[in-house]
Amino acid sequence: MAKYRAPIQSKASQIFDVIFLVILTLGALFVPLKMGLSGAAKTVAEPMEGATWEALGQTPAQAAQYEALGYTPESAHDLILARFDYSFTAGALIAMIVIIVAYYVLMLKFSESEYREVIAEKFDGK
Amino acid sequence: METWQLLEYAAWGVSALLGLFMVIDWLKTDTTYSEDVLTSSREGELEAMTEEHKI
Amino acid sequence: MANTDITSKEMDGMGPHGTVVGLLRVLGPAHVWALGVGIVLVGEYMGWNFAVGKGGAYAALIACWFAGILYTCVAMIDSEVTSTVAAAGGQYTQAKHIVGPLMAFNVGLYLTFAYTMLEAANAITAGYLISVVASMTGYAGELDQRPFIIMVIMFLAWLNYRGVLATLTFNLVITAIAFVAIIVLFLSTSGILGGGIMQHAALMEGHELPYGWIGVLAAMHFGLWYYLGIEGTTQAAEEVRSPARALPFGTLAGIMTLLIAATLTWYVCSGILPWEYLGDGVDGAVAPLFSAAQLSGSNALVWLLGIGTLFATLASANGCINDASRAWFAMGRDKYLPGWFGAVHPKYRTPYRSIIFLVPIALIFALGAPLDQVITFSILSGLLEYTFMPLNVILFRKKWPLNSIKRGYEHPFHPLPAIVLLCLCGITFFAVFLGYGTQLIAMIGFYIVVSLWFHFWRYRFVNRGTQFTMPWPKPQGY
Repeated sequence: MAKYRAPIQSKASQIFDVIFLVILTLGALFVPLKMGLSGAAKTVAEPMEGATWEALGQTPAQAAQYEALGYTPESAHDLILARFDYSFTAGALIAMIVIIVAYYVLMLKFSESEYREVIAEKFDGK
Repeated sequence: METWQLLEYAAWGVSALLGLFMVIDWLKTDTTYSEDVLTSSREGELEAMTEEHKI
Repeated sequence: MANTDITSKEMDGMGPHGTVVGLLRVLGPAHVWALGVGIVLVGEYMGWNFAVGKGGAYAALIACWFAGILYTCVAMIDSEVTSTVAAAGGQYTQAKHIVGPLMAFNVGLYLTFAYTMLEAANAITAGYLISVVASMTGYAGELDQRPFIIMVIMFLAWLNYRGVLATLTFNLVITAIAFVAIIVLFLSTSGILGGGIMQHAALMEGHELPYGWIGVLAAMHFGLWYYLGIEGTTQAAEEVRSPARALPFGTLAGIMTLLIAATLTWYVCSGILPWEYLGDGVDGAVAPLFSAAQLSGSNALVWLLGIGTLFATLASANGCINDASRAWFAMGRDKYLPGWFGAVHPKYRTPYRSIIFLVPIALIFALGAPLDQVITFSILSGLLEYTFMPLNVILFRKKWPLNSIKRGYEHPFHPLPAIVLLCLCGITFFAVFLGYGTQLIAMIGFYIVVSLWFHFWRYRFVNRGTQFTMPWPKPQGY
């Protein structure tokens, strides 16, 4: 098998490749952020009027620690009652599984074909 | 002028100095040595010399 | 070394090619430990407590131990592969030799992003800590955190630029102090020395599993944070004096240290702080060990843990700069990235161009994105990498069975650790999906696009046979 000779990359092309990668990276980070799709926020389902430690479901021992931290029942209200929403649809779960599996399959397949070329040149191409 | 405001300016100054050091040294190195010397590092040098990988 | 024949025909593509300036081999096992633990220990000082918020204190403990199993598998697998493939780039170089070029390119990017994002998160936390110190010392105005964030990144980049030995010796000292601080806090609050203030039963009464069992699954997402980065020890492979011995030793000692530190941290924090407060890393306990020290009523402990928190963030950012630049450098050297990055500084013997290039990238993340977003990106890149590892080790054992090449360390019970690791990664993907599904998709979309770009464009600049540098026999089945 003929030995593959890689072309020398010009300076301009090298710079272009770096800029391309940086733009993609920043896009992956900031696009979900800008579209407001990021993060799982906690919300308070049922706000409570005139909260007390008992009404917030705190035992005296727990209330004592909150007071040591400088909280009152009012200021601790949001912190204690906010909860995550873990509901999801089966469709979204299946879509995620398909995407992850497809990604790894795609990668292993391409890698395998490139790897065979490497091994052939390294061990048989002398 | 409060101490913490001075510290803010000091932090800006230190950052600029360290950045400047790196950039100047980088440009100096790149112009002093040839690109062939700088990028002469190759993977697996030690393995080839010390390990036979045969049992 | 003396009987090496550099003109040997059999050693083509793996023998000395005439490296004039390469990375310096100066590190010992203690530096490997410091690099691994140094990156991770910040996870006990901040971030892990999001797991408490996700499912309650017990869920966080279960996640702590399951993530501990996940990382023990990671450390064992990594030790075996890297004690055999000892080169800068770590998992990237492993993937190149075992799975194939495209996988290697992806792994190299996982590494660079996981570490650069983590570095940014550390710099943000360090800036926040300095502002807390400012208000504690009576500064009335609003402290501008930006110069301190920039200074942290600049100082550590400068340290890395100047040489690896000083960098990791510095890491060894500050990591050891941060670890000792956790032990001291545990001893002085648990009742072993002086009066104990632990009240686990009273604080968890009525809040055992606030979300039920799905909360335990969800907690796995941030359970990774207890240990994320221990796999970075492999990046030092080319700078360690005796990689086949020092890397397994440093890595396995590191994971043991972290299992102890993580469990102690959970024990102290959940015994002092109510779970709703502990689990909210934004409005509640930003630095949970520090908060626990504040409730202990001892000024000495407050200062010790404050210093510990700051040192842990510095050690982590420092190790991240080291690891990210090694991965980037190794890809440049192979032309996976522009070859310009493959340069070594002739005097300091560091990959100086990669270090400088990653500084502005880290600054953009640190100054432009919120903390939880940055942490999630780091965790996701790490998770993709851990999913690659079991595939990697299964192929490694298949292509080069145990008696075909010499290994510095052989991990036991193969393929059990690989299968356990794969299952735990699946669970963690589900946990991430529960809270951050959009980011997960955005991230994988990004990797699919760059993979296509690499396969159809970038790979033409890579020489085929010469990138396989290990002096191994031909893999079985090829």
